[in-house]
Amino acid sequence: MTSIVKFIPRDKIEAEAVKTLCDYGRKYGDVVSPPVPAEEIIESLLGLTLGFDDLPEVLKTPGVLGATWVLDRKVLIDETLDPEVYPQKEGRFRFTVAHEIGHWQLHSHLYLTNEKQMKLFDMDDKPSIVCRAKDRKEPMEWQADVFAGYLLMPEEMIRKSWLEKYGMNEPYVAATEIGRLSTKLGLGEDNTPTVEIAREIAKDFKVSGQAMQIRLIGMGLIQVRDQGPSIFDGGVDDTN
Amino acid sequence: MTAIKEFGKRIKELREAKKRDDPAFSLRRFGQAVDLSPTFLSKLENGEMSPPKAEKIEKMAELLGVDADELLALAGKVSPDLPKIIQKTPVAMAEFLRTANEEGLSEKEIQKLTEQIRKRKKV
Repeated sequence: MTSIVKFIPRDKIEAEAVKTLCDYGRKYGDVVSPPVPAEEIIESLLGLTLGFDDLPEVLKTPGVLGATWVLDRKVLIDETLDPEVYPQKEGRFRFTVAHEIGHWQLHSHLYLTNEKQMKLFDMDDKPSIVCRAKDRKEPMEWQADVFAGYLLMPEEMIRKSWLEKYGMNEPYVAATEIGRLSTKLGLGEDNTPTVEIAREIAKDFKVSGQAMQIRLIGMGLIQVRDQGPSIFDGGVDDTN
Repeated sequence: MTAIKEFGKRIKELREAKKRDDPAFSLRRFGQAVDLSPTFLSKLENGEMSPPKAEKIEKMAELLGVDADELLALAGKVSPDLPKIIQKTPVAMAEFLRTANEEGLSEKEIQKLTEQIRKRKKV
């Protein structure tokens, strides 16, 4: 399936995520403050069936977090992410739901035409899209992840929260705090710890601190280095 | 289809019909309202779990806007008030129910009798 997935630039993915939230707002009332209602979007706006199951067992594939059955309009999330049973998984659960919304908005058309023909020959109940953490770099998985980030952390809402929590519309140069945390936690150089302001804002958006930090760095609100980019720095890694 | 599947299917059908207009009927929020985890509710709707306690089924019926006795019957349960009612006048009430059953009264006939009993009370 990856062969027919076209490259989609970031700004187009962001526009699609913003449009999804606007469509929800028009029908059910504007969402002006976090958290973004991911489950309500997938269930009410898109009208998909959302469910939980032991996905690695059901699909006989280890590490599956979410799966979409396009023709059946069904999304299943792995039950180890049930946020009512495991409240600490709330952020990962919501990101997985938003990721599957991304597949629906960006990729479901690829299956709606192909799968009807496939079903004639193949009657078993295999999902169209299976999502595992280790496949993050696949183009389709990457696109769904980027979509999820934009959907759960819309720019306008983030800027408002930033002003409230940080007190000014300036970026935070986090190099010192990152250095201090890395030493404290004993992290290697390629492992960036999550700074306090990212963790703070993440709570309101019900996402992981890590996801929020990536978004804040992407928006230029957190700078991980105090000098300008060095000659060894290729810029922020686009796959994050 | 087994009884367990029938019950789950009905809950899913009712909830999904409501959720398009009202996000409060999402899996998680409906589950919160009846004190069931989304995983349990999801499996219940797919017929992989036995129906919960009668009190929860009654709460579900109330939220979904259907008769509790319909859902209780699908779940193979009776409303918790019924055993108490029978125990109040055990011999007479049991005979009353058995007779209605043995005489093969139809649903219509039972409803008619119920109406007559109600009217009688008002006089």
